[in-house]
Amino acid sequence: MNEAFGLPLRASLDSDRWSMRIQLPEMLPPAWAHCGLTAEMLGGLYSRVLARAGADGNEARHGIVYLCNELLENAVKFRHPQAGSIELAIACEDGVFEIHLCNHAEPVVAAGFRALLEQIVGRDPGELLLERIEANAMSEEESSSGLGILTMMSDYGVEFGWQLDGGPDGDLSPVAIHTYARLRLITNAGA
Amino acid sequence: MEIKTNEYRVWVESGTIHFEGTMRLSSPAEYAPIQALMAQALADNASRLDLDMTALEFLNSSGINLFAKFTIDVRNRGGVGLGVKGSTRIPWQSKSLPNLKKLHPALDLQIV
Repeated sequence: MNEAFGLPLRASLDSDRWSMRIQLPEMLPPAWAHCGLTAEMLGGLYSRVLARAGADGNEARHGIVYLCNELLENAVKFRHPQAGSIELAIACEDGVFEIHLCNHAEPVVAAGFRALLEQIVGRDPGELLLERIEANAMSEEESSSGLGILTMMSDYGVEFGWQLDGGPDGDLSPVAIHTYARLRLITNAGA
Repeated sequence: MEIKTNEYRVWVESGTIHFEGTMRLSSPAEYAPIQALMAQALADNASRLDLDMTALEFLNSSGINLFAKFTIDVRNRGGVGLGVKGSTRIPWQSKSLPNLKKLHPALDLQIV
């Protein structure tokens, strides 16, 4: 089972095009607080690059921190209990911040995520965000209905691509979830 | 009423709930004490309640959902004025707080 949604993945994690790669092996599982710390580090580093290229440094730092924190929080929250490694790669060129993150999830978790992506792709994210917020408000259950992804798409203009790599149907081995996201921080820069 | 940690502080004063710091809690359950404080403040201020977020530097999507739910709750009750004050200095507020106004058009949103 290999499925793709949204943008194509820009490059493999071991490609030379990334300017930074971080591998968090299973033996060093990040705690929740590390999501924010890592996101702050990336925001601090790359916003300086973007500010030198003409971006608003405060906007760039905040956008990168928000994006990276949400992706890392999702990776930590939904990671496979026996396959907990998380890998990320970063590039920042022409006013665009890009991140490719890979984590593994249990097949049932991946199936829920796939169903969510099928609903998101092709819809207006702002409209869907308000729909989901209204639906969440009516529910007493904790929800994983993608509000973080929709907020990034609707409020920050983040563009996404996902690839889910797993075994055949019924296989219980971990599913690799690749998330590619790009955030344009200088609007008149090249693609 | 006050909730204070190393990362954030929430307190109620004169019909205003103040939020300060960085809120990156992991789930709606972890936001429950803040939700309870907000519900109590709403019960204590039957005609108008204000949310001052001008010192809330960061909020993750679970936190944004908390405020969205609260806004819908106020809207559905009717008869309670709700004000939200944000800062242009903090980028997430200009990006995400207008969604509260879409959920509840009578909300008094000021981002200055």
